[in-house]
Amino acid sequence: MPHRRSTEIIWMKIRVVFLSLVVAALAACDNKSEIKVYRVSKAPLEEEAPGQQNAIPANAPSPSMPGGMAPTTTTASVRVPPNWEPQPLSQMRQASFLVKGDKGAIADISFVSLGASAGNVLENVNRWLSQIGQPPIDEQKLNQIAQKLSTSIGDVTVVDLVGLPNDADPNKDGRIIAATTTNGTSTLFFKIRGNATLTESQKSEFIKWLSAVCNAQITNKPAQSEAMLPPSGNPQIKWQAPSGWSEVPPSSMRYASFSAGANENKIDISVITFPGEGGSDADNVNRWRQQIGLPPMTPASIATQVSELKSPDTTFSVVDMAGANARTLAAWTRRDGHVWFIKATGPNTAVEKEKSNFVKFIQSVRF
Amino acid sequence: MLRKIVDLFTSLKLTIVCLAAGMALIFAGTLAQVHLGIHEAQQRYFQSMLVWWPAEGQSFKIPIFPGGHLIGAVLLVNLIATHTKRFRWAWKKLGIHLTHAGLIIMLAGGLFTDLFAVESHMRLERGDTKNYSEDQRHMELAVIDTADNDLDQVTAIPESVLRTGRTIDHWSLPFRIAVRNYYPNSRLQTLSQAGTGVRPIANQGPGAMIAVEAVPRTTAQDERDVPAAAIEILPKDGGSLGTWLVSDALGAPQTFSCCGRQWKIAMRTARYYKPYSVTLQKFTHEKYAGTEIPKNFASKVTLIDPERNVSRDVLIYMNHPLRYRGETFYQAGFQQDDRATILQVVHNPSFLAPYVACIIVAAGLLVQFGIHLVGFARKRRTATA
Repeated sequence: MPHRRSTEIIWMKIRVVFLSLVVAALAACDNKSEIKVYRVSKAPLEEEAPGQQNAIPANAPSPSMPGGMAPTTTTASVRVPPNWEPQPLSQMRQASFLVKGDKGAIADISFVSLGASAGNVLENVNRWLSQIGQPPIDEQKLNQIAQKLSTSIGDVTVVDLVGLPNDADPNKDGRIIAATTTNGTSTLFFKIRGNATLTESQKSEFIKWLSAVCNAQITNKPAQSEAMLPPSGNPQIKWQAPSGWSEVPPSSMRYASFSAGANENKIDISVITFPGEGGSDADNVNRWRQQIGLPPMTPASIATQVSELKSPDTTFSVVDMAGANARTLAAWTRRDGHVWFIKATGPNTAVEKEKSNFVKFIQSVRF
Repeated sequence: MLRKIVDLFTSLKLTIVCLAAGMALIFAGTLAQVHLGIHEAQQRYFQSMLVWWPAEGQSFKIPIFPGGHLIGAVLLVNLIATHTKRFRWAWKKLGIHLTHAGLIIMLAGGLFTDLFAVESHMRLERGDTKNYSEDQRHMELAVIDTADNDLDQVTAIPESVLRTGRTIDHWSLPFRIAVRNYYPNSRLQTLSQAGTGVRPIANQGPGAMIAVEAVPRTTAQDERDVPAAAIEILPKDGGSLGTWLVSDALGAPQTFSCCGRQWKIAMRTARYYKPYSVTLQKFTHEKYAGTEIPKNFASKVTLIDPERNVSRDVLIYMNHPLRYRGETFYQAGFQQDDRATILQVVHNPSFLAPYVACIIVAAGLLVQFGIHLVGFARKRRTATA
């Protein structure tokens, strides 16, 4: 008996010490100092599934609805098949319809207009494929399956995708016919998604409808300068962007951003303004030189590198700097208490190719 | 030695000391809210192992009192240890056991809530959709790998790691991040506004044209700090890509290339992503007639969860939160002339603990007093007979 009693005491002590350690460890735990790694979708804003009108990933750029592209002006004049039932519009959708077939089959039709940077065609097609549980494809495969539809605002890429996600209702899902086009200031998405048979039966009507909507855009398209108006409160300038440049959303430090070229030949063009003088020319030029791996120069040497370029309202100082791998074209002017910097940076050959466009862009700036 | 430790943790004196220390801590912490604000006071007094003096700004600091975590943990150990040591099963002690079990669940639930509950906010303007909430009191440095066509890989480095000033070397990044300067609260100005002689702390991105001024940390309840840091990107194969200024006052992420990939960096409020999205359809702010006194706030939202095939409208209003996937969305506030709603998002795995604990304690007390009542009644009947 005494032996059994002492064993109980030892076990009791072990339990007490173990519990104490557990509680102490919990109290010392700090889960707010961990570095976390996660993956999030970069897909642009768009609806997800039939009947889910506002299902949009939020980690994407804000929706853009350029003036003159409101639903009443762009789609009201377009004939809609009588069996397409209009659905309530959301902020994202400029048109929304539901088609009903036999035995509860449905298909959802949408028209969405987003900003110019709403992803390229391949990214969007792969996103649609993932929505119906299909693996992504590459550019070559895309060229095989995509069809071009000619409209008054340019070619529209049309894809017809088949697949049923796991656990999905075949009455509501199984096929996506989607079309997209970009007109420089906005990207248009047309989509019909739903029961495979019903979607197939609506294909010709869908193509006719999207062609009519695209053709209706041309009369409502806003002027380039209107679509690029900066936020109120900032000083405003206007310009004429070269045709090969696409505007990208500016950061809070940038007045406007453009990109030209693709992949390794992509160049970044920025328009930045600050109140005041914005530092000395020598400091600015040396900072830009440092960014592309060039050594600093004396103010006197820099003065010899700077040339002048006239625009209708002002004269810009311009400098062209080429490093081993990168080149920067920079132009700046001071006007009405603000300094304006316009800069293009990218690989040497790409910048050389865009230099004439850069000069034209500077010359088009109006205050 | 072990016997002394067990005796210490099972003594009633320790219970009394802990309860007294807890009362003193609550009193001091409540007074400290006047100068520190509720958040900072909670951090320093209740969500800490020790209360330090002076708190910051000096080269030394000494612990002057046990913090909330330490007192709570010792009290919990004391309760469990005492119960474990003296536990003898008997039906007539059922009430005592239940009451103690309820108290243990209450204390453990409080500790778990403090350690694992996450409070954040979701701010939505009408028509906005978000699949993440943000913690306005904690910042993170988000380093985003944009190489993949569909997904961005985000490495989120908490502000507390930047604050240590150490060089960050993480498996997900092909470069190290050296923190050259760190400001818990700051004011950013362009160099021209800052005056002559002020140098930027960064040489890349917009930070090369910005002066950073350190300002004291705010203690106001309706303000938050604007932390800033200068970080140098050091590729693991050698060299330096330069130094960037990061601050949420800069807004959009900055970009750079490293190892053949495009990266984005941004200091932003800590984000908690969700597998579903919430869209604000309508926000209603009713007032009592003829006054500015609020009567009701309500947010009509659409909840969409593609994984679970959920798409439904929900009305969130005071005392009627939305509970979904272990998170609770409360109506917390509004902004911009009622155009935006603010939902408090609480993830608390142990939110049931207080309810369960109260039920068990109540049941224990009922049983205990019931046993005494029955015993008393029997004695009285026997005496009468």
